[in-house]
Amino acid sequence: MKPPSSLRSLPPKGVPGGSGMNRILVVDDAATVRMYHRKLLGDAGWHVDEASNGVEALELVHAQGDANAFDLYVVDVNMPRMDGYSFVRELRKLDARHQAPVVMVSTEAASHDASAAFDAGANGYLIKPARPPDLVLTAALLLGDRTAALKSAEGAKS
Amino acid sequence: MKAASVLAPPVISDADFQKFAEFFHRKTGIHFEPAKRYFVDKRLVERIQASGAENFRAWFVALRFETDGAEMQRLVNLMTVNETYFFREAYQFDCLVNNMLDEIAARKRPGSRIRIWSIPSSTGEEPYSIAIYLLERWAKIEQYDVEILSSDIDTAVLQAAQRGVYSARSVGQLPKPYLKKYFTPHGNDEWRISRDLVDAVEFSRVNLSDAADTRRFRDIDVIFCRNLLIYFDDLSRRVAAEAMFDALAPGGFMCLGHSESMSRMSSLYTMRRFPDALVYQRPL
Amino acid sequence: MALKKSTDTTTLRPVEAREYPRDTDGLIAQLADADATVRRWAARDLAAHPRAAAVLCARLTDETDASVRSVIFSSAARLGGSVVVTSLLPLLRSEDPALRNGAIEVLAGQPDAVAPYIEKLLGDADGDVRIFTVNLLGDLKHPNVPQWLAQVLVNDVNVNVVGAALEVLAEVGTPASLPALRAAAKRFADDAYIGFAVDLAIGRIGVS
Repeated sequence: MKPPSSLRSLPPKGVPGGSGMNRILVVDDAATVRMYHRKLLGDAGWHVDEASNGVEALELVHAQGDANAFDLYVVDVNMPRMDGYSFVRELRKLDARHQAPVVMVSTEAASHDASAAFDAGANGYLIKPARPPDLVLTAALLLGDRTAALKSAEGAKS
Repeated sequence: MKAASVLAPPVISDADFQKFAEFFHRKTGIHFEPAKRYFVDKRLVERIQASGAENFRAWFVALRFETDGAEMQRLVNLMTVNETYFFREAYQFDCLVNNMLDEIAARKRPGSRIRIWSIPSSTGEEPYSIAIYLLERWAKIEQYDVEILSSDIDTAVLQAAQRGVYSARSVGQLPKPYLKKYFTPHGNDEWRISRDLVDAVEFSRVNLSDAADTRRFRDIDVIFCRNLLIYFDDLSRRVAAEAMFDALAPGGFMCLGHSESMSRMSSLYTMRRFPDALVYQRPL
Repeated sequence: MALKKSTDTTTLRPVEAREYPRDTDGLIAQLADADATVRRWAARDLAAHPRAAAVLCARLTDETDASVRSVIFSSAARLGGSVVVTSLLPLLRSEDPALRNGAIEVLAGQPDAVAPYIEKLLGDADGDVRIFTVNLLGDLKHPNVPQWLAQVLVNDVNVNVVGAALEVLAEVGTPASLPALRAAAKRFADDAYIGFAVDLAIGRIGVS
């Protein structure tokens, strides 16, 4: 299966396969999209939290202590109040404990937005609507979750 | 005599609850967990019946498409706890004396002025709570001139604040030594706050939507605007958030109520996470 | 030191004669002042000057300070009306998300003034403009919203425009929306998200 879009890998936080479930923050102004991503990512075995714009996402990030900092961010590009890139730029200014990989999700073709994604400090990029195996595989790779990666690759073949 | 038919109360289906919860969250940032189902359903039924709507759908359509925002305001009032009392959401006062004021003081010469604005004053519990906290719990209170300004749109409530008489319930969260020190018993199970504290607060009538009122406030170091903006419509909230941005000195702090969020108002403020609280700041 | 009531008249100063004129032309001139605070106050005070609506909105494309932009949008919203609408509609094509979303927020508050433009916008060649128009419908208080969305579900070729419309229909869908919902599911039968979103919207309509 072809790997999705552009990926720049970052060493995964924490011990791969270690104790404690991986925590993902899904940021999108559309409730239906959040629900859909929650379903896909939750089924893969990860804990999912949601925020509906960049400001709300930052508030949620600030509320996490060391024990429950996020391990991955899945961030919609176009949101009101604070868009996806602005959120990532603000995120990258925070403490090390909050620095986890970021996957941007955009309606734009990759060539259009890719440089913006890299400049802001993102690690991955998916075009909306993300196909279930693409989203899960991207997340699994960035989380260093081998089991989930293999499972999603299997699912994509069938 | 014909028996009056009794209408069964409207039923809130799971789909109805989700539709409502998403709409409400989108508008206010307040999230209703499934555990709050009973709490929410009860109040939805109350609003549906009070508005005369036939069922949830009819009421929700009216809510979603109303142009004056009246039902939304009634709804928010019903869904939130409106009670005021001394030391309410005290973690923000802790943050004030443990972090915010020290940071502000570090930028000023000793002896200079620090301004705190509490709006709405309501019946005074908040500005007086701030005063007590400053006197009792801020180590540097003797080194700076701290002004407490407090405003409300309602003159009756301002008068009550300046009268300074409170119920046992209102002072219930105060440590006993503070109650003894700053209040005297009054009438039947009430308490009157000391004149010194009343005199220490500058009260004023202010409408946050009126630039003529808000332009008088400048160089404010900390604003407490808690559990007020949640009752405003979208535009009024923005206007108020922008007005308070201008009232703040650069680097000044803003505290909203615990269930309120700038994410539904404005992106002008930065966020500061302190051990006691998350607060907003006008950039330096 | 300690708690002090202010004796300084600058804390709560009475509204006095300002240094600058605050008539319409004076305020418009201050929209271009070098000081962001002056610009912000000019933008704020212009909310009471309908004659300045077009000039105020035009300032958005030159204004670099976020706090001034924010107040310009708020004042535009307070002014309302067709001049504000025609001035802000072009911002739906802006590359700047802050300008775009600011415009959408104001336009969403002007149902009667914006309604005449909706159909044309939903037929725009640019898929992004169609998405942003659907976003606008998400907050617009106009009775035609469900029908406009149904048109999108039946006609639009872009999966993300249809996705955006489904998002709004989850909230405002009626039994009359069902045929359009089924049509969208059929047209994008191989898209997992569309299927999910259609089922959700249908579920929200319910039978009551």
